[in-house]
Amino acid sequence: MLVVLAFVIAACGGDDNNSSSTGSTSGAAADSNNGKTADAAARKGGTVTMLAASDVDYVDPGHTYYTFGEMVTLATNRPLYSFKPDDANKPVPDLADGEPQISADKETVTVRIKPGIKYAPPVNRAVKSADVKYAFERFFSVNVGGQYATYFNMIKGAPQKPTTGVKPISGIETPDDQTIVFHLTRPTGVPFSAALVMPISVPVPEEYAKPFDARNPSTYNTHVAFTGPYMIKNNASGSLTGYKPGKSITIVRNPNWDAKTDYRPANVDGYLLRTNATDANVSARQVIDGNSMLLDTNPPANILKELVTKTKDQYLSVPSGGYRYFPLNLEVRPFDNINVRKAVMAGFSRNAARLARGGKYVGDIATHWLPPNFPGFDQAGGYKGFPDIDFFNANNEDGDMTVAAKYFKAAGYPSGRYTGSEQLLVVGANADPGKAQAEVATAQLQKMGFRVRLRLVPQDAVYTDWCQVPSKRVAMCGGAGWFKDFADPQSMLEPVFKGSNINRQSGNINYSMLNDPKVDAAMNKAALAAGDDRLRQWAAIDKMIIEDAAGIPFIWDKTTLVRSKNIVGVANPYIALWDLSYISIK
Amino acid sequence: MASYIARRILWTILLLLVITAVTFLIFYVLPTADPAALRAGRDPSPDLIRAIKHQLGLDQSLPQQYWHYTDRLFFHFDFGQSFINNTSVKSLIFDRLPNTIFLVVGAAVIWFTAGVVIGTVSATRRGSFADRFLMGGALIAISAPVYWMGLVCLYLFADDIGKWKIFPGSGSYQDAHGFFEKCWTLLLPWMVLAAAFAAIYARLLRSNLLETMSEDYIRTARAKGLKEKRVIVRHGLRSAITPIVTVLGLDIGILMGGAILTETVFNIDGIGRLSYDAIQRGDLATIQGTTIVLAAGVAIMSLVVDVLYAFLDPRVRY
Repeated sequence: MLVVLAFVIAACGGDDNNSSSTGSTSGAAADSNNGKTADAAARKGGTVTMLAASDVDYVDPGHTYYTFGEMVTLATNRPLYSFKPDDANKPVPDLADGEPQISADKETVTVRIKPGIKYAPPVNRAVKSADVKYAFERFFSVNVGGQYATYFNMIKGAPQKPTTGVKPISGIETPDDQTIVFHLTRPTGVPFSAALVMPISVPVPEEYAKPFDARNPSTYNTHVAFTGPYMIKNNASGSLTGYKPGKSITIVRNPNWDAKTDYRPANVDGYLLRTNATDANVSARQVIDGNSMLLDTNPPANILKELVTKTKDQYLSVPSGGYRYFPLNLEVRPFDNINVRKAVMAGFSRNAARLARGGKYVGDIATHWLPPNFPGFDQAGGYKGFPDIDFFNANNEDGDMTVAAKYFKAAGYPSGRYTGSEQLLVVGANADPGKAQAEVATAQLQKMGFRVRLRLVPQDAVYTDWCQVPSKRVAMCGGAGWFKDFADPQSMLEPVFKGSNINRQSGNINYSMLNDPKVDAAMNKAALAAGDDRLRQWAAIDKMIIEDAAGIPFIWDKTTLVRSKNIVGVANPYIALWDLSYISIK
Repeated sequence: MASYIARRILWTILLLLVITAVTFLIFYVLPTADPAALRAGRDPSPDLIRAIKHQLGLDQSLPQQYWHYTDRLFFHFDFGQSFINNTSVKSLIFDRLPNTIFLVVGAAVIWFTAGVVIGTVSATRRGSFADRFLMGGALIAISAPVYWMGLVCLYLFADDIGKWKIFPGSGSYQDAHGFFEKCWTLLLPWMVLAAAFAAIYARLLRSNLLETMSEDYIRTARAKGLKEKRVIVRHGLRSAITPIVTVLGLDIGILMGGAILTETVFNIDGIGRLSYDAIQRGDLATIQGTTIVLAAGVAIMSLVVDVLYAFLDPRVRY
């Protein structure tokens, strides 16, 4: 058995509304007000109110996928592994009692869980390894609707299609109450272990959850059995009285939580999360002027400006561990010509796109795909990117029409601008910042000579009705994003650019329709690699995708979190949101 | 009268049937975001999307879907489950409906009272400074967008972010307990919501009252030696106010859906906010449910107004 000393890795998807899981961050754990670490400044007690622009997608850990849902999940549950606020890349054992043991052939992963961790009322019993097994089994049921099966369908016997009920998985064994063994069909023990930070590994007591899971859809979402330092307020039958979808979530202490088994301080007594809250300006103002309050996400641009000048101690800027980009659809003329795509990348002003989104506060200008402080970032050239690639490097963030002209000429347009007759379809959101981004993208294409039809539609329809449907032949999606699920470059690049993953019906997320056999082969090889070699291989894939000119990454995204003066603000790099288990009141 | 009421009720039921059919067609036939893809997350397999379509019944033919929809709605009073969070749409709606009713009815009391008082004062002091001042104010109230006025009021008077900390701020309604505390937290939103309507009613009443006060029977009343106050209230106002009372019910019904901006600015968990959030997230089941409830509200208020009007004026019964 191979002891894994450090997890490599990281990745997932998102858009303007709600980036999916995660983010890496450096220094986000420290309170920006006084530079002290959270623990040093923390004191116990009090209740904090959060004004949140969004809501949880699901409370059920088997179903939740977006960051806000994971923020609640992390405070109220214990997955096998998780991230402390001070390290974005190295997960720590949470429910697990040590690091995962990966076999020499990397096809078996064994995890021991801590003894004595109890469920909150009404379950009240100790967690067993069988509960983690059941959590994995129910995840594949359509009743539950687990959303990232791609990271776990290499478990032997795991359903390759959603099941109609909860089916046993032969490749998961629980030889005793403290041990769980995963048998894999491929030697992918390293990325599999890294993915154990996902909420799928939160234990679910079968005897309690089974009646809820029998319903379609499962009603466990309103009857969750919690293991974390906090729980959502419930009644004697376990019904979550503190969860009012679209309105609020009341979080209280879990009376069965034992601090000795946990690394989290759980300082405050509870939280009131007001979800889908109100006007963004009013919310931000209330938090800045008020006491014991948090804002969950980027405040409006005018408030942001005030924050960075007048109230510098009341915000944290947290890298969200993702990139925002403009995919170029390789199946749409003239983007089927690589020189045209290179010309577009060269002439495109990433700076203009960043300004449309909010300027320097919303992220660093990207020079390649893997974001800063993320495994593989340095190997992919860090901030400098790939200086040998002339059409996309750190020197042309405002766009370089001279370089663009060179590639247009190579593509057969001697004027150095595009002179073809095709009309390109650009689709974007009908509200800012997505709208502003799409408009900038349109202007950038027009300046290079393209005829563009800009179509602005509601945010969700941008993806589900347009960009994710290849038959709609969207030439450029007006501002897509992809964010890590966990710390591994595979999950940053493979879902978005692997040709064999293209879904021609709907739900396709390879918006570029990149189907490069060399990239696919490199991904298949790198998926099995470990350690530094793994990072070098994925960095090389990062470069291959840039060389394919499959899209224009324009920022490595950041989230701005706002708090009241009396709050010690601590963010979790994994979700790029507040860490409710570390926040305290001064 | 009984047959008139029966006919109106039948028409209302027919109208509700048409509303449900049209709502269904709008949301299922017009292109919108794919609910299955929305629920499936960011990296869904085709199998997962197919399974969710089956789960939501979206793989059935349109007539089948409509049959199941009407069956659920009319025989089980079930609006289905939210596409976003699996919650019963009925529970979402009925959790929030009382808040919107409370908001709108309270605002209606204010706008009707203020409209009548201002309209009467203006009409009886036609051409005076008070008249010009009040009608000028009414014009501003009509012209100012509710959303903007709400924000201005919060920044001026809210007890958390206001310059003069007088009224409870945005979101305070959710924490209020008891009838009077709820009323206190709603005072600012009531005034904001009522302002434009009060102005419209005031202008309407002023115009009606001016016309009424020149009628022969008013001159007769004065000739009989009645006090001016009694002439205005008992004879003038009573007549001038009738058309306003009849539209009040309809305005309340319409505003049930239109209170969305006030609910947004003041963070009140009403049905308007629910509808707005559902639209933002492409949650068709909830959009459909709220649309039907709000449309039914207007239809029912229209029925009530018609019946009341028929009671007041027998000529409309035939």
